[in-house]
Amino acid sequence: MLSALVLMCLALWLSNSDFLGISNVINTTRQISMLGIFAIGIAFVIITGGIDLSIGSVVGLTGVIIARLTSTATGGLGYPLWVGILAALVVASLVGLIQGLLITRLRLQPFIVTLGGMLLLRGVSQTVVDGGVISMGKSSLLDLASGGLFHVGSDPLIPYPFLMFLAVAALGTYVLHFTVLGRYIYAIGGSRDAAEYSGINVKRVETLTYVISAASAGVAGICYAAYIGQMSQQVGVAYELYAIAAAVLGGCSLRGGEGTIFGIVIGTAIMRVIDNGINMFQYKYTDADGIRRIWRLNPNWNWIIVGAVILAAVILDQLVHMIQAARSIREAGARKASGPPTGGSPKSVEAPAG
Amino acid sequence: MSPGSDSEPPLLHMQGITKRFPGVVALQGVSLSLKKGEVLALMGENGAGKSTLMKILGGATQPDEGEISVGGKPVAFANVRDAKAQGIALIHQELMLAPNLDITSNIFLGNEQAGGGLLRPLNRRRMRAQAELLVARVGLQMPVTTLVSQLTAGQKQMVEIAKALSANARILIMDEPTSSLGSEESEQLFKIIHQLRSQGIGIIYISHRMGEVLELSDRITVLRDGHYVSDLARADATHDAIVALMVGRALSHQYFPPKREARTEETRLVVENLRLPGVPTAASFSARTGEILGFAGLIGAGRTELMQAIFGVAPAISGQMLLEGKPYWPRTAREGIERGVYLAPEDRKQHGLVLQMSVAENSSLPNIASYARFGWLDRKTEQEVAEAGVKRLRTKTPSVRQAVGNLSGGNQQKVVLAKWLAMNPKILILDEPTRGIDVGAKAEIYQHMADLAGVGITILMVSSDLEEIMGVSDRVVVMHERRITGVLEGSGLTQLAIAGLMTGRPANSDGGSQAVAS
Repeated sequence: MLSALVLMCLALWLSNSDFLGISNVINTTRQISMLGIFAIGIAFVIITGGIDLSIGSVVGLTGVIIARLTSTATGGLGYPLWVGILAALVVASLVGLIQGLLITRLRLQPFIVTLGGMLLLRGVSQTVVDGGVISMGKSSLLDLASGGLFHVGSDPLIPYPFLMFLAVAALGTYVLHFTVLGRYIYAIGGSRDAAEYSGINVKRVETLTYVISAASAGVAGICYAAYIGQMSQQVGVAYELYAIAAAVLGGCSLRGGEGTIFGIVIGTAIMRVIDNGINMFQYKYTDADGIRRIWRLNPNWNWIIVGAVILAAVILDQLVHMIQAARSIREAGARKASGPPTGGSPKSVEAPAG
Repeated sequence: MSPGSDSEPPLLHMQGITKRFPGVVALQGVSLSLKKGEVLALMGENGAGKSTLMKILGGATQPDEGEISVGGKPVAFANVRDAKAQGIALIHQELMLAPNLDITSNIFLGNEQAGGGLLRPLNRRRMRAQAELLVARVGLQMPVTTLVSQLTAGQKQMVEIAKALSANARILIMDEPTSSLGSEESEQLFKIIHQLRSQGIGIIYISHRMGEVLELSDRITVLRDGHYVSDLARADATHDAIVALMVGRALSHQYFPPKREARTEETRLVVENLRLPGVPTAASFSARTGEILGFAGLIGAGRTELMQAIFGVAPAISGQMLLEGKPYWPRTAREGIERGVYLAPEDRKQHGLVLQMSVAENSSLPNIASYARFGWLDRKTEQEVAEAGVKRLRTKTPSVRQAVGNLSGGNQQKVVLAKWLAMNPKILILDEPTRGIDVGAKAEIYQHMADLAGVGITILMVSSDLEEIMGVSDRVVVMHERRITGVLEGSGLTQLAIAGLMTGRPANSDGGSQAVAS
């Protein structure tokens, strides 16, 4: 996947040198960062074998809460910024906790619980902004998205969202790959029974993953509020699908037990580079009359291309798996056939159900 | 042999354990004790209560009555963790390992020894070093960083044992540990068991393989129908003595329909050299018109796979079959059904019925097309056919519109039978037809089977219940480890002969089979 990403960037750069232009790079980095923050969050859920459809709505809700509480423009209540951010993060975590408890304690299906959460929270956002738009005004929060370190002209070379993304990725890597919790998350995704019989408190760990997922969406929501500068109930629609796609492209299986933070970072970058590439790709040619023309992708193809890339990735992945499985069965068969005949009665290869 | 002296309290003592499930008493006042460094074999037929007893000991289920003490101290296990804390490790037949993690991670899963909360870092180096020691102790020659999904069944078993050792297990329960192992892997396992025994670990060993049990165990406890039957010291234990204790009760004759007179010698189904995927030997047998042909064997003997091949749902690789003299080679279940061969699967709830659907809907499911008129489902005919089936088998249901999930096990099985009867079968395959059905309903099912055979339907019945096989079948095919080890009929059809063949010991007349695996 990393090589696919590099190839894609190279091709885009060759077709349009502006792709690696400073403002495009910074903007794409910012987009990757904001998506990446909650793609890493949802990965915790996906690796246990669950799914969280509500995070797009959580992104929207946190932004709306911040705008409503802190904006000095029409519709805002004018509280200090930190109150808004704290409230937004608490609400996001609570959403995750409630969904997690519903899923683990009442044994409801994650798909249905988070689908309900997705619709319900979308409606809550709409109610909070009263169906309209709340501008962030001149809130200092806006600097979060536009600001950064090492300015080149007006553009920061390292936008703040990118720093947050790095922090989230580092924290995610530590938790998932180096702690007991991470080990449990993989074990649950690999075999829930094995985890249960190993004495792991499976329900608690699973609940925690939904909290992590929603809280990371909350953090991303703060960035989006800063980036967009005005909140309506439209912000964050379908973002959960982008995050799931990024996780799957990054090597997560929806069956659980697979995936790494590094892979998800790559998957996120691919999703955003595709988006950006559809705008950037161009093909210069000289037509029959000798006039130089530029061919561009039709922007209406956006979703077709995104969908096709995701399907192509999973189809390839599955084909590789099937070929490997077929080969290992063949090899096992060959070993059996060439092995010396055992003196005793024939042995079963696997335990069949009576 | 057993280092635990008499003055010392037994390592484990279970007294008067009773466990009831809805409609069934799984265990009734069962007792069991285990000394340090002792290998205790737990024997009994399928359904005798071994698994339930071991689940209780492992903390996976709780008894309704009874006491457990470990090392003389009374204990109560609310969950698996409690049992683990007392040094009890249960190694399941289907191994409980996470395939996506490596050997080290699996050994220490749930026992990472880092102390404190969930966010503490893993001490990979120390765990790896300890894992290497443990893996060496169980004789597994694999790097500890190997993914468990890449291990063979035997190697996974070793990982399970290493995992138990890492938790300082004092009592190790092994449920059919060799059921998926080859002979070399089994030998390796036995070596480790001997070694663990000499280290003072008590081992409860569940197996159907008589040879292993006689070779390994210091003592044998036999359960039957949820009751404790007897203890045998190794010196007194013989193949026949154990089988006699396991089978025990005399057959109650009124329970089964009277044997019918031998009818026509006409052969309906011939199976010749049928080879199934992954099975080394080919199977051959034949079934007569209006006969109940029983298939005896242990769980995993390959009977279900054979039946699935005859039905067509899991086709055979090579060989040939003749149905009423004509070639028969089903590649899908549909092709089997078209020739009048039907299968009522072992797992009623999963493969046999759609529980949410009504009796009538289930009855019409296999040939739903014949109920359709111009694409509309003919519910009136569906209802009539279903009602006829209910009447014929005396199914107890408030109406044919009742969801099947609300019926009792016996009545569910009748719906399965009715479903196929509506289609005038030539061959009816019944896989464990009375599993989970109470005694009264069983007798009724047996009577129906006899009636069906009486009108010329050939019934192939797979059953792990010896009594049932004996009581219902006209002839019996016995299988062991995926081969047919004998076909018994007439005076040769005795429980001992079946039990011998199905555990791999040759019956007196059958010189072809070889000694038990181990």
